[in-house]
Amino acid sequence: MKEFAHFRHIAKAVASYAAMLLIAGFLMAPFVWMVLVALHPPKSPIPAIDELWPVKPDFGNFGRVLTNPHLPVARFFLNSVVVAGAVVVGQLAVSACAAYAFARLRFAGRGILFAAFLGSMMIGGAATQIPVYLMLRSFGWLDTYAALIVPGLSSAFSVFLLRQAFSTVPAELGEAARLDGAGEMRILAGIFVPLSRAAVATCATFTFIGVWTDFFGPLIYTNSISMRTVEVGLSIYKNAYGGTNWPLQMSAAVIVMAPLLLVFLIGQRYFVRGITLGSIK
Amino acid sequence: MTRLQRRESLLGWAFVGPATAHLALFALFPIAYAAYVSTFKWNIANGHHAFVGGGNYAFSLREQAFWNALWNSFRYTAVGVPLGMALALAVALLVNQRLRGVTIFRTLYYIPAISSGVATAMLWIYVFLPTNGLVNVVLLWLHVNDKTHTTDFINNASTAMWVLVVMSVFTGLGPRMVLYLAGLVGIPGSLYEAASLDGASGWSSFKRITLPMLLPTSLFVLVTSTISAMQLFTPVYMITKGGPDMTTDVVGYHIYTEAWVDFNVGLASAKSFILLVAIAGISIVQFRLVRANLADYSA
Amino acid sequence: MSLRRWWCVLLLALAGCQPSHNPNAITLRIATWGTGEDDSDYAKKCDAIDHEFERENPGVKIVRETIPEQYVQAMVMAHVAGASPDIMMLDASSAAVFMNNGIVTDLAPIIAKDPEFRLDDYFPNVVDIARRGSAVYAIPQDFTPMVMYYNKRLFDRAQVPYPDGSWNFERFRQVARAVTINEGEKNERFGYAFSNWMPGWVMWLWNNGGDVLTEDGTRAAGSLNSPQNAQTFRFLRDLIEVDHVSPSPSMTAAMGVDPFVSGRAAMTISGHWSLIDYKNAPKDRNGQPKLDWRELGVTAVPHNTPLANTVMYESGYAIPTGCRHLDLAWRYVKYMTSRRVQMDYNSSGIAIDARKDVAQARAVDPLERAFLPLVATARAPRGSRVEGYDFVETQGASAMSSVLLNGADPLAALKTAAERIDLEFAKR
Repeated sequence: MKEFAHFRHIAKAVASYAAMLLIAGFLMAPFVWMVLVALHPPKSPIPAIDELWPVKPDFGNFGRVLTNPHLPVARFFLNSVVVAGAVVVGQLAVSACAAYAFARLRFAGRGILFAAFLGSMMIGGAATQIPVYLMLRSFGWLDTYAALIVPGLSSAFSVFLLRQAFSTVPAELGEAARLDGAGEMRILAGIFVPLSRAAVATCATFTFIGVWTDFFGPLIYTNSISMRTVEVGLSIYKNAYGGTNWPLQMSAAVIVMAPLLLVFLIGQRYFVRGITLGSIK
Repeated sequence: MTRLQRRESLLGWAFVGPATAHLALFALFPIAYAAYVSTFKWNIANGHHAFVGGGNYAFSLREQAFWNALWNSFRYTAVGVPLGMALALAVALLVNQRLRGVTIFRTLYYIPAISSGVATAMLWIYVFLPTNGLVNVVLLWLHVNDKTHTTDFINNASTAMWVLVVMSVFTGLGPRMVLYLAGLVGIPGSLYEAASLDGASGWSSFKRITLPMLLPTSLFVLVTSTISAMQLFTPVYMITKGGPDMTTDVVGYHIYTEAWVDFNVGLASAKSFILLVAIAGISIVQFRLVRANLADYSA
Repeated sequence: MSLRRWWCVLLLALAGCQPSHNPNAITLRIATWGTGEDDSDYAKKCDAIDHEFERENPGVKIVRETIPEQYVQAMVMAHVAGASPDIMMLDASSAAVFMNNGIVTDLAPIIAKDPEFRLDDYFPNVVDIARRGSAVYAIPQDFTPMVMYYNKRLFDRAQVPYPDGSWNFERFRQVARAVTINEGEKNERFGYAFSNWMPGWVMWLWNNGGDVLTEDGTRAAGSLNSPQNAQTFRFLRDLIEVDHVSPSPSMTAAMGVDPFVSGRAAMTISGHWSLIDYKNAPKDRNGQPKLDWRELGVTAVPHNTPLANTVMYESGYAIPTGCRHLDLAWRYVKYMTSRRVQMDYNSSGIAIDARKDVAQARAVDPLERAFLPLVATARAPRGSRVEGYDFVETQGASAMSSVLLNGADPLAALKTAAERIDLEFAKR
């Protein structure tokens, strides 16, 4: 009897692994295809499945995309890095301060204000895009970095997540530091943030990914080619130069995705913990 | 209020100040401004500007193209969200087991979600290409198609929407799975033990323990998935552009066209408010339905 | 904390990287449409022409920005954001929004002050496309009237005399029937290849006394759904379904290639650009081209009205308002539309040059020469006056499609199209 149960256990494990591999196959297949086609010589036709592995991998496509004489691809990359960096740093700073206040400071109207933050998460981008555009136009910020950075400098989601994390930090630590004469900023930066590494990393990672893959913002708020980010630039590249040149298109896509993957893999260790903290009510 | 309390209050406001200012400027004020703009017939290309009060709303509610967009969004959401949730739950159950290497799979499954929307759309065009696309190659292999009859999914009015639905399931899997995993963690193992002692089967445990205990999580996934599905934009822009024959003209794309291709920002603002109301309405209905179910179980 | 510190460091490092700045260099941004495929002969030619300008004007750098999609939208948004380029190409059929709303500069004062530049070097009715009263908003580069091409070889085979352009609809129908061969699958020759692309069939409406919009371009109802237009639609439909002189849309799709260029249709309406395709016609089994462009003729489109009406499509150079280097931009426009540059640029043969001297010089063969008399009667496209005209063209094609594919009644289909157009125009 015990052997039968043991056998069932192994069979279940094998079946599970098989299912997980199958699902992984489905989900990863397009991306694997993307990388393989990026290594084919430019202008080659779409490879049939048995010709998918490149006979002679051509790594030059990445260089060709980055040094395109008519489209400033490297500049797109720079723009994305600048904007993402500024937003991640800025948003963390602003949201951490607000989260700390909601978690550990008592002030009049705290409850209502927090409810306002929560409520704002429901407001879709669709309703605010036009007024924000008109506002940015009146500031003269359209087609500048300011238009891409400033609207992202705070996020109710980050405030929410960080507040949850800060609430779990023992209050005594803050009290002790206060008694020692430390200012609130010191307490936040020196105690709360280091102890909430999971949540901070989660916020930073999600924010980076969100900014890097933001399509609508740069599409509407920037116009000149030199101010476009890498996401919009990829679609311009596809329409202008990709056309039927799949290897170059896919190389461009790989270039856009590589930093995303890198940041994700570094930050994903903290993910489940971060989201768990956020969703357990 | 004591001096200490006042100091703490001021500090609190100082800390929360930047975020609040940002909220006011980029979330609260724009809503009010959008409402103002929506009462004008306003074209930013030629600058025509005229107050019409509720005229834009009346026009939109009579406009066949707008109702078509609402219907397309509804179709997309009604099929894509339940399908995506069911799949995510199944996958979450699968990777919730204590097997070696399961975290690798969890990470892999999340990758489509973080992928650049544009890059994913480009891949999707390939996947559904008529002759050499992945799906057609598989269909050829399964002898469903033959060499002369490959299916063009994207340019076919009856299948274009399903291309987008499949894409939404694909990219939405990761976050939903993680949410369900978090929810599963919260279910006490003792419940399952008790059930198996009573002789309950796996499926029965699932129906009577897992699903009800997951209702709060499911509600969260349902509402957030619905909100984002109703505002779909990038895949439509990249792959179908609202076609063929306006079958994939969803509200997000429709409003984009109204505001940024035709430049009628007043009308577009009105439409986005109508969308907001529609989404809020759907969310409330979802809340009520799930809460009713929750009440049954806690009784 | 270390994560944040890394980002701070990265940000500071990048802030230090500024592109090197030559304070004396002026960059002229030129916006145009099309894909930027950078190894075609055309692209190389454009590059060479730009480099020559840079050589003649030291310290100036030309940057061409090709916008592959939604060109009009991108240019309008750039204007609204104050980020317009210095020079923009203007396509006549979508120029209305720019010219009606002061998005492009009036060049008339500049022309008046410039002794080197003569506006009457260019075909007058082509220049008129960009005129509004005394203002001139663009200098034309090249254009084409829409003409009726005919395949002389097929006419000879049917022993039908070549058309001379003085034909009405009925005469056209007879000619088309005479040239059509309808026996069996292999020998099928059509008289006329019809394509449901409104910019290519709108002149049929005009030549039967109808129009698409009212004179002021504000309304479609009453104009588009006129009895004459319904009659024209019936005529075109009957060419396909009754006389069988034209392939139906599904037959054309099944052929996979344009019937005229594959030598299976004797006549078609198109612009000068098609000559590129006709000179590179697909080859038959013996390696012979299915269409010999030297055996082509062009003539005016059939007209029930006393004069033949046709439309011309044109592109030219405009300077957006807010251009910060007006003198330099004007110099570039003059340079590009000069005889010297156009003789080189126009050698690709896509369109007729807007300069009279260049067009005459390039009219070396009878076919090219046959285009020139048709220029004088060509109208500017409606899209150069009416904003959002592309919606009209979409609805028109839709109406035609429902008549040809779904057997709809022409007057009803036109009425539906007119109503939709008016609804859309009411939004502006």
